[in-house]
Amino acid sequence: MTTYLLRRIGQSAVVLAGVSVIVFSLVHLVPGDPVRLALGTRFSQETYDALRERSGLDQPLVEQFFGWLGRALTGDLGVSFRSGETVTSVIAERLPATLTLAFASILVALAIAIPLGTISALRPGSIIDRIATVISQFGISVPDFWMGIVLILVFAGTLGWLPSGGFVPLSEDPGAWLQRLVMPALVTGVVSGSVITRFVRSSMLEALGSDHVRTAQAKGLPTRQVFTWHVLRNALLPLVTVTGVQLAYLLSGVVVVEIVFSWPGLGQLALQAVEARDYPVLQGAILLFAVVFLVINLVVDLLYTAIDPRIRR
Amino acid sequence: MRTIRPLALAAAGALALTACGGGGESVDTGGGGGGDNVLTAAVAAQPDQFDPHVTSAYPSFQVLENVYDTLVVPNAEDLTMEPSLATDWEVSDDGLTWTFNLREDVTFHDGSEFDAADVVYSYNRIIDEELNNAYRFSTVESVEAVDPQTVEITVSQPTPNLPALIGAFKGMSILPEGAAEEYDLTTEAVGTGPFTLESSDASSTELAAYEDYWGGAPSIDGVEFRYITEPAAALTALENGEVQWTDNIPPQQIESLAGDDAVELATTPSVDYWYMSMNYAREPFGNPLVRQAIATAIDRGAVTEAARFGAAQPNQTAIPEDSFYYYDYAPFEPSVEEATALLQQAGVQTPITMGLMVTDEFPETVTAAQVIASQLEPIGIDVDVQTVDFATWLDRQAQGDFDAFLLGWLGNIDPFDYYHAQHITGGSSNYQGYSNPEVDRLLNEAATETDEDARKELYDQAAKLIVDDVSYLYLYNPDVVQAWVPGLEGYQIRADKAINFEDVTLP
Repeated sequence: MTTYLLRRIGQSAVVLAGVSVIVFSLVHLVPGDPVRLALGTRFSQETYDALRERSGLDQPLVEQFFGWLGRALTGDLGVSFRSGETVTSVIAERLPATLTLAFASILVALAIAIPLGTISALRPGSIIDRIATVISQFGISVPDFWMGIVLILVFAGTLGWLPSGGFVPLSEDPGAWLQRLVMPALVTGVVSGSVITRFVRSSMLEALGSDHVRTAQAKGLPTRQVFTWHVLRNALLPLVTVTGVQLAYLLSGVVVVEIVFSWPGLGQLALQAVEARDYPVLQGAILLFAVVFLVINLVVDLLYTAIDPRIRR
Repeated sequence: MRTIRPLALAAAGALALTACGGGGESVDTGGGGGGDNVLTAAVAAQPDQFDPHVTSAYPSFQVLENVYDTLVVPNAEDLTMEPSLATDWEVSDDGLTWTFNLREDVTFHDGSEFDAADVVYSYNRIIDEELNNAYRFSTVESVEAVDPQTVEITVSQPTPNLPALIGAFKGMSILPEGAAEEYDLTTEAVGTGPFTLESSDASSTELAAYEDYWGGAPSIDGVEFRYITEPAAALTALENGEVQWTDNIPPQQIESLAGDDAVELATTPSVDYWYMSMNYAREPFGNPLVRQAIATAIDRGAVTEAARFGAAQPNQTAIPEDSFYYYDYAPFEPSVEEATALLQQAGVQTPITMGLMVTDEFPETVTAAQVIASQLEPIGIDVDVQTVDFATWLDRQAQGDFDAFLLGWLGNIDPFDYYHAQHITGGSSNYQGYSNPEVDRLLNEAATETDEDARKELYDQAAKLIVDDVSYLYLYNPDVVQAWVPGLEGYQIRADKAINFEDVTLP
């Protein structure tokens, strides 16, 4: 187990090194001179040179890269072009909102997906299965910004039950926190939940049709016991994976939903950084997303080995 | 816990728009106390930072407008300069020495007294550190304190637009001496304005009333700027009472809102203008008849409708009608026949192709270009709309690598900003290559003319030639569009998009 863990961590480190090269190059391959864009149309050559020097953009790319990487390893991601604050503090400020929305959305998603997927799998082809399929098809295909705006118009506009958006920390006012969380969590939860529902359904069907379930039923074991012990355990495996992937995606910010609901998360930050060509923030954010994906993958793999010992080799 | 009020319908009856009522001094300093007397305004984006000399972002200026002061400010009615931190000013007969007399009994938010040293410090900071607005001091030789209440600015040549240069917007704010060393100006603000900057995060920025404000304490206790990027959400927040003011309105809903009693909607043509420009070095666009043909073929009303859902004022000159310098001149009547005749007169063999460079940085240029393309087709000009990223666009503009392009100039106040660098021979923004000795003479004369009426006359004459020659093909001034709750008083919409909440009273 320990060797397996070490090997996986080693692999992740290699991937991360690769990702950091790609992140850095991506940002520098984007057409356009950030200094020039930051200054607008009226500026002197002196001003231009000064800003280039200040932001280190006058050094060779290789030097820029190793400087950035070295500092990043010590937790120094540089300083935002836009606000002059450190990138770490800019990102840290956004974490509470992002974590809140990500976990709330996963809860909503699982609350939709597990019952819906299970019912579908138990009665394949039935009316209820068809309804579930339509619902998840709807969740996947309806644009989230449209769903968000409709919710705002109905619940904040016509009915006046909920605020139109924004974020209040839980520590400040739990009631206000919950009121503002409902709509964005619902939109992202429905989208993620629709994806997960299909996985639940297919893995359940597979587990139900497997030999050892039939054997267990033939032995005359009670259905409930068969279901919980044999079906669920097998069906859980793919569910862990897909939930992990969805969580990683949610943790890297859901740009559109954050914009619609004025939710101050990482997605909104990434978009602002792109618009303002705020390279340091953009690099820091993408690097963080990569780390989140790798860590979650690692956790998912470890959970796998815990659930299914055959994977340990 | 803040409860969500259902949509409050205005029972107060139809309230007249305040768009023409003056602000005036607020005398009601009672203030309700508590959080109920705070104006919540929905703005479209988060300020990038709060250093007025460094930022160039409008969301920052929306906040700074209420926190800092300049020596002079644009008047809300016609944008001419009026007193602010300076009570009056005069210029010597040779036009080279400007003397500003400063207001007394003004304090900064940290309690320090405002005097001439602060003005010298602020202006020299912009000049010495070559900050964004250093170009505004290009003719300034020195800024000196004669005594604590008097500042003298010496210029190398007569600069009649100096008040406009130092008062146009809050980028020329006065900071207390030594502020850059004493404070972190990116996150803190120390102004002389009606509100103090209390806090700012990723959701909102909060201001509190400054009781010792020289213009009298504001009647509200504070302002909360809440960032709501999605216009439909901002409008909903206004309609259900979460916010009392917004400038983020879905453009396609402006017309229907005009007849809605639940919100007060105000629009006015802004000081920004959008234009098309052709490259004189690329035939046949160097031929004035060809440019006039194109100017005659374009229907500005249709362009405005498509690019701005009609939320703009078509204009054949640069300056909007609210300005003292507005010049009512519109020689081009859209006509395919006349445009075709002009092209024939120029001896051009149609069809010809014209590349039209636009950028997705400003999506309205892309929409406008598509409309223009459809309008030029009937006269035998095939428009090739080239959408590039803004950096490429700027590079190609600088290298003269274009047949024609579309863009706008934003935040202009003085006619010098509108016409000088864009149309004088060899001007720093004259990318089209326009050169007309008569225009040069008029612009140079206007740049040193100190009498306002004579100055306007000179700019009118220059503008007429610029329009006739189609140096720029002017399209429209976009509207400033703002809305607030019925019963909110003491707010005035302005063409320069400055938002002042100091005299506001809540319903």
